[in-house]
Amino acid sequence: MSQKNQPPPVKSPEEKPHSGGNGHQPSEGQPKGPEGGRNKPGGGRRGPGGKPQGPGIWSLLKPYKGLVALLIGLSLIANAVNLLIPKIIAHGIDAFTDHSLDIHLIIWQFLGAAVVVFIFTYGTTFIQTYASERVARDLRTRLADRISRQNYSFLQNTSPSQLLTNLTGDVDAIKLFVSQAVNSIFASFFVIIGASILLLTIRWQLALAVIATIPIIGITFFVVLQKVRALFKTSREIIDWLNKVINESILGAALIRVIHSQQLEYAKFLEANSKALGLGIRIIKLFAALVPVIIFTSNMAVLTILAWGGHFAILGKMSLGDFSAFMNYLNMLIFPVLIIGFMSNIIASAQASYGRISAVLNAPDPVENGTIVTPLEGAIEVRDVTLGYGEKKVLKEISFTVPKGSRTAIIGPTAAGKTQLLYLLTGLTQPDTGSILFDGHPLSDYRKEEFHRQIGLVFQDSIIFNMSIRENIAFSDTVTDELLEKAIATAELKEFIETLPNGLDTIVSERGTSLSGGQKQRIMLARALAIQPRILLLDDFTARVDTQTEQKILDNVQRSYPGITLVSVTQKIQSIEDFEQIILLMEGEMIASGTHTQLMGSCPEYVQIFQSQRSTSHYEQHELQS
Amino acid sequence: MSSTNYNLSQNPAEEVRTSNWSALRKLLDLLPEQRGKLYLALIVMVIYAFVSMLGPYVVGYTIDHYIKDKAHQDYHQVLVNCGWLFLIYLVVLAAVYLRTTIMGGYGQNVLFSLRNTVFNKLQELPVAFFAQNKAGDLISRVNNDTDKLNQFFSQSLMQFVSSLFIIVGSGIFLVVLNWRLGLATLAPAALMWIFTRLLSPWVKKKNAESLKSTGAMSAEIQESLGNFKVVLAFNRRDYFRQRFMAANKDNYKASVSAGVANNTYTPVYGFLASMGQLIVLLVGIYLIAHGKFEPGFIVSYFMYATSFYDPLRQMATLWAGFQTAIAGWDRISRILTLESNLPVVPSMTAVHAETPALLEFRDVSFSYPDGKSVLHHNSFRMEQGKTYALVGPTGGGKTTTASLIARLYDPTSGMVLLNGKDIRSYTPEERTQKIGFILQEPLLFTGTVKDNILYGNQQYKDYDNEALTKVLETSGLETLLSRFDEGLDTKIASAAEGISLGQRQLIAFIRAVLRNPELLILDEATANIDTVTEKMLEDILKRLPATTTRVIIAHRLNTIENADEIFFVNGGEITRAGSLHQAMDMLLHGKRVS
Repeated sequence: MSQKNQPPPVKSPEEKPHSGGNGHQPSEGQPKGPEGGRNKPGGGRRGPGGKPQGPGIWSLLKPYKGLVALLIGLSLIANAVNLLIPKIIAHGIDAFTDHSLDIHLIIWQFLGAAVVVFIFTYGTTFIQTYASERVARDLRTRLADRISRQNYSFLQNTSPSQLLTNLTGDVDAIKLFVSQAVNSIFASFFVIIGASILLLTIRWQLALAVIATIPIIGITFFVVLQKVRALFKTSREIIDWLNKVINESILGAALIRVIHSQQLEYAKFLEANSKALGLGIRIIKLFAALVPVIIFTSNMAVLTILAWGGHFAILGKMSLGDFSAFMNYLNMLIFPVLIIGFMSNIIASAQASYGRISAVLNAPDPVENGTIVTPLEGAIEVRDVTLGYGEKKVLKEISFTVPKGSRTAIIGPTAAGKTQLLYLLTGLTQPDTGSILFDGHPLSDYRKEEFHRQIGLVFQDSIIFNMSIRENIAFSDTVTDELLEKAIATAELKEFIETLPNGLDTIVSERGTSLSGGQKQRIMLARALAIQPRILLLDDFTARVDTQTEQKILDNVQRSYPGITLVSVTQKIQSIEDFEQIILLMEGEMIASGTHTQLMGSCPEYVQIFQSQRSTSHYEQHELQS
Repeated sequence: MSSTNYNLSQNPAEEVRTSNWSALRKLLDLLPEQRGKLYLALIVMVIYAFVSMLGPYVVGYTIDHYIKDKAHQDYHQVLVNCGWLFLIYLVVLAAVYLRTTIMGGYGQNVLFSLRNTVFNKLQELPVAFFAQNKAGDLISRVNNDTDKLNQFFSQSLMQFVSSLFIIVGSGIFLVVLNWRLGLATLAPAALMWIFTRLLSPWVKKKNAESLKSTGAMSAEIQESLGNFKVVLAFNRRDYFRQRFMAANKDNYKASVSAGVANNTYTPVYGFLASMGQLIVLLVGIYLIAHGKFEPGFIVSYFMYATSFYDPLRQMATLWAGFQTAIAGWDRISRILTLESNLPVVPSMTAVHAETPALLEFRDVSFSYPDGKSVLHHNSFRMEQGKTYALVGPTGGGKTTTASLIARLYDPTSGMVLLNGKDIRSYTPEERTQKIGFILQEPLLFTGTVKDNILYGNQQYKDYDNEALTKVLETSGLETLLSRFDEGLDTKIASAAEGISLGQRQLIAFIRAVLRNPELLILDEATANIDTVTEKMLEDILKRLPATTTRVIIAHRLNTIENADEIFFVNGGEITRAGSLHQAMDMLLHGKRVS
């Protein structure tokens, strides 16, 4: 009965435009916008009783036909034989009262049945585990495979946390469906029908009275469960809210301690937690109404058996054995009714999860139609490029060229669109209009793998994987030991790595917490250099590296990678004064471009930036020359 | 002290598994004030179990006395007894209702205080704890494991407890009515008990392994998806696949063994329950034949056997859930047993003759729990109202120094003094009010810009936009808001998408300045902000009250050129550089330490 995941924004694959090109615009038919999170209250597309769209959950089982058939088969046999046991007992009691008892026959019959039930139940549980885990594993594999083939805009639109839910929570819901629902639904119907038939053959009038309890229990159960399901959905949302508070309090641990806002966080948490408590109590109240009804109804059946059965017995139409059979079958009847109710819940939640998973599985692959594999020379041309997120234009009609082997700097204030421009240059995102050409050919004409193999990008945020430094730097599979050495030397990491106990094989932790900001940044630079790129893109690389090291590194790059095209997003004018080209971006617009001297003569904004850094720049230059 | 090991995935010594009982006790101890409710629930359940057990007795008695023998048949009496039975069932109805409400309510309350306790503990633990554990693993631990407990408490607890009572009740009736037949009927249950005892540690272990592999898998997914752009830019889609496949495979193996372990109970219990029935039949017949048992009661015995073994079988299913919950509880308990290593100590430092510095390091050394030594025997003083700069190569210990000033860690040896008093003697409230710290990695909370700049701010928390804008204007901060599309009302999603690093740093800056600390630490806090904006920040810093002390960590020299004093931090040594010249000199000539 665990409604593990609320059924929410299910999107059928048909709803999605099957876009042919690789233009995965953010605004286009992607499942969700960045904040169209999975847990928006009321975000569910499904009406209260409406069937979710999308492929039926049962179709998921097609590849496992054999396994599922085996599962159902085993479980039906176990249940069929189990149905016989009360019959054997009744027969034994009656035979005894008639003094015609063959005790050995009874023992063998009974033992035989019990052993068969045991073996087949064991088989069922085994297959059930195996099948469900296999379905889950395969589903995760398919999901991961599909995700890994998507491009960056897909991931931006379907947030990582949603994909995480798809891969964990949603898959778990389906696992539960396979392990619990599939066979128990069949088995439960089978037992209800089987036990009913057996009762009818003993004494049909009484049997009908007993069977009448089934719809009473069934309907009450169904009604209450409907309400509970709605509450479970809300409760899931609250749990997600709770988890968000927990997550932020873990990620923001340092800040919370610096500000001493534990109390505030606790208040946030308490609010959510109190809601969860209230909801939990409401659910309990519903169950408090349901459970007594079930027990009372089945007790009334016992009463009926005694009163009416007694009547039949006095008339000589029912034996002691029949009494025991009725009591035993009554028990067998009620349980499956409850099971079916619980399973309907599991099925509904699995269906919703499968809908969400299908949306990811059916997302069209980005079309790869680039064919050019010739090595890049390094010339870049940006032509009339515009990029927007929704209403807001991040970049407006940007045009410039970067000759091969030259150095270009992009400077500008915070939120000017510098990083976005860099992402465009690497093909991580695509412009809304305009084009980006490398050596005169549009970026999309290049084979992606070949293209990325020649572009080194150093991201602004530190992205260090939880593995050895060697693996972090030699991240691409094309890196040889020689290239690795060279990259490390260029990034001025050699000394640092030598101080580590395990050298290159030292494992660095998630988010690189055991490294300083500058060390992380240099590892990322080495990672970009290790692939021997034709073009090196630096995003605010210098922010966390001290000036001295920075200067050394830039010199190293010039020396070790001659002819490389360098595009550097930066804040510091001093380190780029001698660059061939400087581009000034402000609020998505290109204000000016030219060399340092040209800009100093023509662009007041540039002069302003320069002035803001002047005194120290002057100082540093002076020091360096001396 | 600061070398306390908080790493949850290490520390195998502590992995002593608690017994079910003591784990349960610890859980119940979370809610001492609701003990009364628990006892009430137990009483109701005893009544429920007892009255429930009367039903089969009445049935057996009626069959035996008024139906079975031709000689004594009396349908009127049958109906009279049916009336009694009806009354009994009414009492059962009421008892079931009460136990569901009371017990269920109690369970929800335990869950409520459990969540609060865990969250409180998380707030109590120092930064070191978060630095030593993967955020992904921690989140999974807290979320998944409380969820497992949640499922148990909301869904199975009640059934679990009432099954227990029915089992005991049936057991007693079985033995009291006819002790020979009763004991014989219960014999398979003894086997079940032994079987469960033997199996349960294995099942628990398998479940713990499975939970662990699930945690590892979601950490893996988070890391890969979070860093997807690197995966793409370096053409390593296969890397994501490979790493995920490995985690997936591990998880599959662990889950299958956990599943197999969990499912061993059901068939065995089912078989033993059948044996119980067979015994009732055979021994019952034997005893009747020898005149030691009333034949009508054989029907009651089957009913008792059913109400004994059926809940037992259900418990087998629930038992697995119980084990999972206990395994989850174990993992959470490990967090709960951790203690903060930053307690407030009584003030012992005598007042000095000299006027105390605002902040003083006295022979301070620091090393991380992994043994990495960062600072060695450093002493320096910082005076009120001055601006200090910490410069030095990356990895030299600047951030560590700042963290010690803010008491995110305690020194391994030596002492940090704030206004002449041991910094450890200040309560966190006092300390954080005096010391502001703008962290290297700014974090924003879901909400608006306003929510974020007022985060944790007692003074201005109730201000509306207008009033707040006035406050911002007086400190010159309002100009910075123009960097945000909708000013104070700009929305911030938790992933901080669409908000650049520079913007995040601006918010962190405003947040810290508004708190008006006596000592403000900026740890590369403006690294990603353009220099024009940075100039504005500098002006704002200059407009801070004359008593405010500033500690600035930066690489860009222009940010520190106005510093009154410069400390050069490298190789664990904090050296006072007399002037910017000297600092430059040290920087340019690498590791030379004078």
